[in-house]
Amino acid sequence: MASGMVALDTPSFEAGLRPAPQDDGALFRTAILGPIDGTTRELRLARNGAAPASPRHTVILRCERSEPRRMLAWCALLAALLLAAQPARADEAFITSQPAETLSVVDLATRKVVATLPISGKPAGIAVSVDGARAFVTSPDGKALTILDAASRSVTHRVDLGGGPLGVAVHPSGSPAYVADWYQHRIKAVDAATGTVSGEVAVGQSPSGLAVTPDGALLISADRDSDAVSLIDTKTLTRLASIPVGARPFGVTIDAAGARAYTANVASNDVSIIDLKARKVVASVKVGARPYAVALAKGLAFVTDQYDSTVTVFDTDTLEKRATISVGDYPEGIAASRDGAFVYVACWEANTLEIIDTATLKVVETIPVADGPRAFGAFIRRTGE
Amino acid sequence: MKIQLLTAALAATSLLATLPPAAAHGPTRQKISEKIEINAPPEKVWAVVSNFQDGSWIPVVAKTEGTGGNAAGAKRTLTLKNGATVEEEVAKFEPEKMTLMYRIDKVDVAVLPVTNYSSWLIVTPADGGKKSEVEWRGAFYRGYPNNDPPPELNDEAAVNAVTGLYKAGLGELKKQIEGGS
Repeated sequence: MASGMVALDTPSFEAGLRPAPQDDGALFRTAILGPIDGTTRELRLARNGAAPASPRHTVILRCERSEPRRMLAWCALLAALLLAAQPARADEAFITSQPAETLSVVDLATRKVVATLPISGKPAGIAVSVDGARAFVTSPDGKALTILDAASRSVTHRVDLGGGPLGVAVHPSGSPAYVADWYQHRIKAVDAATGTVSGEVAVGQSPSGLAVTPDGALLISADRDSDAVSLIDTKTLTRLASIPVGARPFGVTIDAAGARAYTANVASNDVSIIDLKARKVVASVKVGARPYAVALAKGLAFVTDQYDSTVTVFDTDTLEKRATISVGDYPEGIAASRDGAFVYVACWEANTLEIIDTATLKVVETIPVADGPRAFGAFIRRTGE
Repeated sequence: MKIQLLTAALAATSLLATLPPAAAHGPTRQKISEKIEINAPPEKVWAVVSNFQDGSWIPVVAKTEGTGGNAAGAKRTLTLKNGATVEEEVAKFEPEKMTLMYRIDKVDVAVLPVTNYSSWLIVTPADGGKKSEVEWRGAFYRGYPNNDPPPELNDEAAVNAVTGLYKAGLGELKKQIEGGS
């Protein structure tokens, strides 16, 4: 959508759309520049708050007849069409690189790394709060959770947790953050504002991936070495159930409706689909070798197959396989954009963040990031409405 | 909507029996890379390193026995000079990229203190194709799966062991190829 013609059904007008020199994304406003004189004029879509001189796109209208009033109407219509076609926000990806001991911030509009922050202790797990305000990073070797102010990229707390903190998820309200302890087989709740541990709950063996239902009521942990997931009541921090799944579940992802959870099972090479109300596995789907995590977009599940260097895509309704997409070696963390148009894959060995178009099911961009990206968790940060 | 019902008990019992012993590991995978320049064209070097059924350029190896050639899924058992064995398998064979990726299926951590090991051998042209650069990359977890490992099975021990293996192997590879043998 950054280039090409917009065809309008009239012989009098022709409209072109060309990318602006700096494609800075975010929100837009419109401005019509130049006199209404029936000749070429420009309509600019500018970033909200930014000067109209740095537009995201410039629209050129050429008028063959002198009909200023009609042209103005076409301008307004075209502006509305273009605004509808633009991504409404430029979200970011927060990518943990474990051996490099950094957190890379990738702007998803420009697809460039815009910040790299040092995080010690071999960072692996990541969670960004739903409002985009805070990021939470686990360091298994440093036995710590780092809490960051996401916008200013500054560390607000470094919380010593002991054990082996790995998986992390944050309550939809923004607090607490839940941290899975791989070695001590429990989950700790950490207050986001103060960094204090407010509670803990024992789960199965080696809890890894965590996820919270959109209503905030349930926390789910993939208890890797128990071949099960735990369902935890977030209000009381009590374990309600343990549901057997495939072998060695690692990543867990909950759908937008909060109805189903998907686990990537490393040792059985499949994905278990759990009905959260019925508290049981309702389906199992074979994927590639050593699946790591699952992302959901457009009615499809995208699964990183670490040992096959692929992403397996299947339809979440029919369970039919739709594609096997080649990506860099050791694909691990995976997450969908908020509008579901793209899926982002961190490739640990290849040192890349790869972008899959969910319409074409092809890799459309490969972004180099710091050594050993894992990005285990919900790593997309909302930056606008 | 087509949904296959899967009884959990059945899944758990049937899968547990097939779990590899190396399934458990710590949360931090290690990554290393060693490189060497060899005074020979890439094709010549690739012919040696891509021959999965002959590991004789690795100094600790006494014997290579295997099946399947170099193709993905090919297997070999290396018998080391100390009598220990290592079972390995080709993961990817990409001659157009001069890249061989393989994994260790089975090794005692007393022999090599790693688990879930995979490695890459990559040959790239140097000096306009007159010379070659060989990179040997490795990805693995330490030998001890739990927290606070003993020194002989910690991350450092794993990294040191594999680094030593790669340096010795690449050194011997250079010597064999440049020596004309």
